[in-house]
Amino acid sequence: MSRLRVEEVARTFPGVRGGPPTVALQPTDIEVADNDFITILGPSGCGKSTLLRIVAGLDRPSSGRVVLDGKPVTGPGRDRGMVFQSYTLFPWLSVADNIAFGPRERGVPKPEQDALVARYVERVGLKGFEHHYPKMLSGGMQQRTALARALANDPAILLLDEPFGALDNQTRALMQELLLGIWEADRKTVLFVTHDIEEAIFMANRVAVMSARPGRIKTDLRIDLPHPRHYTIKTTPEFAAYKARLTDEIREESIRAAAMVP
Amino acid sequence: MFEPLRPIPPGRRTALGVLFFVLFIAAWAGATFGGLVKPLFLADPLKTLNAGISLFAEFGFLGDVAMTIWRVVGGFAIAAVVAVPLGIAMGAFKPVEAFFEPFISFARYLPASAFIPLLILWAGIGEAQKLALIFIGSFFQIVLMVAVTVGATRMDLVEAAYTLGADRTGIVRRVILPGAAPAIAETLRLVLGWAWTYVIVAELIGASSGIGHMIMDSQRLLDTGQMIFGIFVIGVIGLISDFLFKSLNERLFPWNFGR
Repeated sequence: MSRLRVEEVARTFPGVRGGPPTVALQPTDIEVADNDFITILGPSGCGKSTLLRIVAGLDRPSSGRVVLDGKPVTGPGRDRGMVFQSYTLFPWLSVADNIAFGPRERGVPKPEQDALVARYVERVGLKGFEHHYPKMLSGGMQQRTALARALANDPAILLLDEPFGALDNQTRALMQELLLGIWEADRKTVLFVTHDIEEAIFMANRVAVMSARPGRIKTDLRIDLPHPRHYTIKTTPEFAAYKARLTDEIREESIRAAAMVP
Repeated sequence: MFEPLRPIPPGRRTALGVLFFVLFIAAWAGATFGGLVKPLFLADPLKTLNAGISLFAEFGFLGDVAMTIWRVVGGFAIAAVVAVPLGIAMGAFKPVEAFFEPFISFARYLPASAFIPLLILWAGIGEAQKLALIFIGSFFQIVLMVAVTVGATRMDLVEAAYTLGADRTGIVRRVILPGAAPAIAETLRLVLGWAWTYVIVAELIGASSGIGHMIMDSQRLLDTGQMIFGIFVIGVIGLISDFLFKSLNERLFPWNFGR
């Protein structure tokens, strides 16, 4: 059963100072099944973040609609948890209070909040850092907290907008394994946006490739790699074949995107 | 030693700060004891100190100081209690801002001291006039600075809160307010400094007590020692209140001061 349906969603931004309007997203359809993990892969500026923001309800589509569990999306809500590329922890709250933000907002009793915090601090490996402020954490730790904060709110679908984009390679690889491990255990429905091909294949059951701006989904590729996946899977021939194919697709789009720059 | 932006050890920092005071007083002593300036125009440090001691011991100067502090704190508190919520409302809600902002920007440039004759006409030379002057001097500044602070709330944090299920009230209470709180406290610290200028002006022109009144009285007696001491006391009180405000802020907002 499909949990999330994006139906003919398009987005055009009005022109700046009398300039022509920018078409960021052509009418796009995508379906996300329950418990699925889908990555949206595209060159920078292809509108993939715009698409995710529309699903989150942080931006409105110019046309089309997003339907989650049968209900059309009209604005942001706790059923669509999000992790952003930039660091968005509340600087005035400790790690524990950041994680408890959502539950507290909907009036979960304090003891249950504490239990949730304990559980998710454990899952993202931040035990001992509960009382630290975000300023005292490394980038990887901040994003793990952000992930825990989104998960502790128990969303119907988890939206991830290049959450590891600002991290160094080693940390990023560890974060991918951490998130994949959590998904393999919980099978939470995930929509993950990235421009990193390896990341897209390693994490996902399906990779939706977007074309250069104005974006649309040009390829929808199933990734038939077995779970649980270990990082060594990245060196297998199957993985390499997927990578070769997606590299070609993305290269084509990147060249088109670069050619469009005046 | 003069590498740009390079921090220095706290000990040296304090030492350098004290050094300037020492040099300042030394230059003052040199100018007065050395006979470069006539005593009529500038009292020497010793005479100033003696004047200060006699002010406290014989003329009940402590009462003047207390009076002045009371006026500043009173007028400033009244202004802050009204201005901070209004500034928050303006920063958070654009229609409120559009309604008040043009008038307040205009009112901000009206020199508070120019209201003194009017205020004396309306409220006499009693306490109400002093408080009103400080209110006029601080209110518009606080409103605008708070509105700007609140308006600069990080949009990404607001969006994160929305995706965590916060409603509008939640955004104001749990994102905008805590995020703006340190800068609001900093605004209050700054404006309190300006309020000190207004209270002295009010006391110079129409008052029967307070530090400004004492300075005015001393001028009639050509007692530069007392005048300098009065000005000096204002500086010291300002320094103390600034320090208290700063350490209060560091205690209230530890997350903002990285530890």
